[in-house]
Amino acid sequence: MPLSRSKSAFFSASEKAIADSELRRKLANASGHHLDAAARTRGEFPRYDEEREAARRIKADAINRLDQLLLQLKQRLEANGCHVFFAADAAAARKYIVEVARRGGLKRAVKGKSMTTEEIELNPALEQAGLEVVETDLGEYIVQLRHERPSHILTPAIHLSKEDVGTLFHERFGTSYTDEPERLTAVARENLRSVFLAADLGITGVNFAIAETGTLVLVENEGNGRFSSTLPDTFVAVMGIEKVIPRLADLSHFLEVLARAGTGQKITTYTNFITRPRGAGELDGPREIHVVILDNGRSALLADPVMREALYCLRCGACLNACPVYRRIGGHAYGYAYQGPIGSIVSPSLFGGGAGYLPFASTLCGACREICPVKIDIPKLLLHLRWKANQSGLQWPRAAAGARRAVQRFGRLARHPRTIRMLSRIAAWMMRPMARDGYVRWMPPPFSAWTRTRDFPVPKSAPRRKPAAKPHGT
Amino acid sequence: MGAFVRIMASVKTALGGGARPAAANHQETPAAPLVAPAAHSAELISSFARELEAVGGHFVGAVTADELSARTVELADRVGALTVAIGAGVSFDAGPLANSLEQGGRDVIRCRPAGDDQARRALIERIARADLGIVEADCAIASTGTIAVTATPARPSVLTLLPPAALAIVRADRLMPDAAAAIDSLGAETIAHHRVAFITGPSRTADIEKLIVVGVHGPKQLHVILLWPKDV
Repeated sequence: MPLSRSKSAFFSASEKAIADSELRRKLANASGHHLDAAARTRGEFPRYDEEREAARRIKADAINRLDQLLLQLKQRLEANGCHVFFAADAAAARKYIVEVARRGGLKRAVKGKSMTTEEIELNPALEQAGLEVVETDLGEYIVQLRHERPSHILTPAIHLSKEDVGTLFHERFGTSYTDEPERLTAVARENLRSVFLAADLGITGVNFAIAETGTLVLVENEGNGRFSSTLPDTFVAVMGIEKVIPRLADLSHFLEVLARAGTGQKITTYTNFITRPRGAGELDGPREIHVVILDNGRSALLADPVMREALYCLRCGACLNACPVYRRIGGHAYGYAYQGPIGSIVSPSLFGGGAGYLPFASTLCGACREICPVKIDIPKLLLHLRWKANQSGLQWPRAAAGARRAVQRFGRLARHPRTIRMLSRIAAWMMRPMARDGYVRWMPPPFSAWTRTRDFPVPKSAPRRKPAAKPHGT
Repeated sequence: MGAFVRIMASVKTALGGGARPAAANHQETPAAPLVAPAAHSAELISSFARELEAVGGHFVGAVTADELSARTVELADRVGALTVAIGAGVSFDAGPLANSLEQGGRDVIRCRPAGDDQARRALIERIARADLGIVEADCAIASTGTIAVTATPARPSVLTLLPPAALAIVRADRLMPDAAAAIDSLGAETIAHHRVAFITGPSRTADIEKLIVVGVHGPKQLHVILLWPKDV
């Protein structure tokens, strides 16, 4: 499924998503689950805020001396016997990985869940080079079978119900229909087990790269990352330049906050430490490790002192769950590999083009900042990006341009309270005949644009206006 | 190499010249336990057992070295394991344990360093068909119910990955309060030379409507025996 990248794609995709009440139910269910669990585990962990501060401090330090740490990481990885490749952009990263596969004559790739490989659109490139590529995270496996993209960085199939998955498996594998998650998972386990055992290339992302030891740390729950980095002879890890942390001793601070913020677990099921290829006599582990370190617009974020903070992100997914906009439109509407609030601040730098509109898709309510395990001030960054977009003369698509003009007109009108009062009385009088049970569900055009997706409460006969406070003593 | 130089240059430029903050040193002094050592260790064990069970793992119990074989055989029976794969211990010789499992008529796969690639693949295939994988963990984390396993030629990481059930044995004095202490006790040296996995409960997913299902790719069951060392 191609990404929606044209100028107005976000607007039409989000309108369509808002009208999909079934999607809204699934999103509310899933993000509600995450939020409740996360609030519970955080409540049981008195040190949470302390650990958050430590995690933020370490990230700030790491990003401020990123050049030194990247050099140290490269040297350590190479000393450990890993190949290191710095990729300036997505195309360079794809080319390198395809070349690794071609040189080794590799045919069957398994992937652990990795948003960075979604970012560089690796799968089509590998498939074009003749490889079979199988996503092995259950959610990713499901969306791959549907020829879709993940709609949440943590829960790729968040937009699907168990019935959707049941129908998909029934149609694709000819197994008898079931919508029981246990049985569906068992089908996936069986299918993927033989794929893992036959694979010659494993690909995953990286959560943390420790400069001090040259260790890649990969966290996950299912074992897809552990399988992908243990069984195939060749292993490729793809990471952004911002994933490096200075010392081994820094890691625990991130482990203490990452899962608590994202899924509400205390720690993920698996935390995998990968330092070097398989040694003599060893039974498992890759014979060859390639680490692809990706810039792809990140140094532009680094160069902007306000935006630099965006590079602290751990990709925990918490801000998506907390975001009222994400919960209404889901991940696909954003059109890029990273969705929700964090997507809106990194996508303009990583992808350019239509992503420039994403910073405007926010109510600036601040829920993302509150929940972020490294306290990224997302609303501030969104405002900064809006300002920058306006400076560069962003062209608004028609619908949005209309809305902006309407708000500007209202702004002028608001300076005349008497006129407003009169107009609202007229509006109330006109709307009353259309109301049923306290709500107006339909209005004639052009007002139907509002009632198509929202109900309007019936206005009171006399519009409420706060009486001006009387001065004391009168 | 070209891209490396170019990216390093753009990172340097982005960071700007001038004074750079010195490497921050966020060394924290660990808080001393508030209770007497014996009570502290009891607290760690109860926390470990509680957290392990909370994530769907099974805390078998704390046993002495003399009881270890009997309890392991008992567990193998409970799991219904006919084929058991066992790795070399960290602190003890796993040989006697393997022998007792074999005496019950079970097929026991003893992991040894692989000779050539063919032998290596054959052994992986055999472990993939085992019903139970047994390893000694290097340490465990009380606050999360986590075990830490390191891979060596005779203790491959597939033991806790391929069989549908895994049993980890961990010495009670290797029970650490939290992740920071566990990472510290493993140390940079171990992590640099072995592949390490922190494992917290059975493999799980919540990818379908956030409903938790265990046993996606890894083991469906994770059992842990705490070994009471003779000198403690």
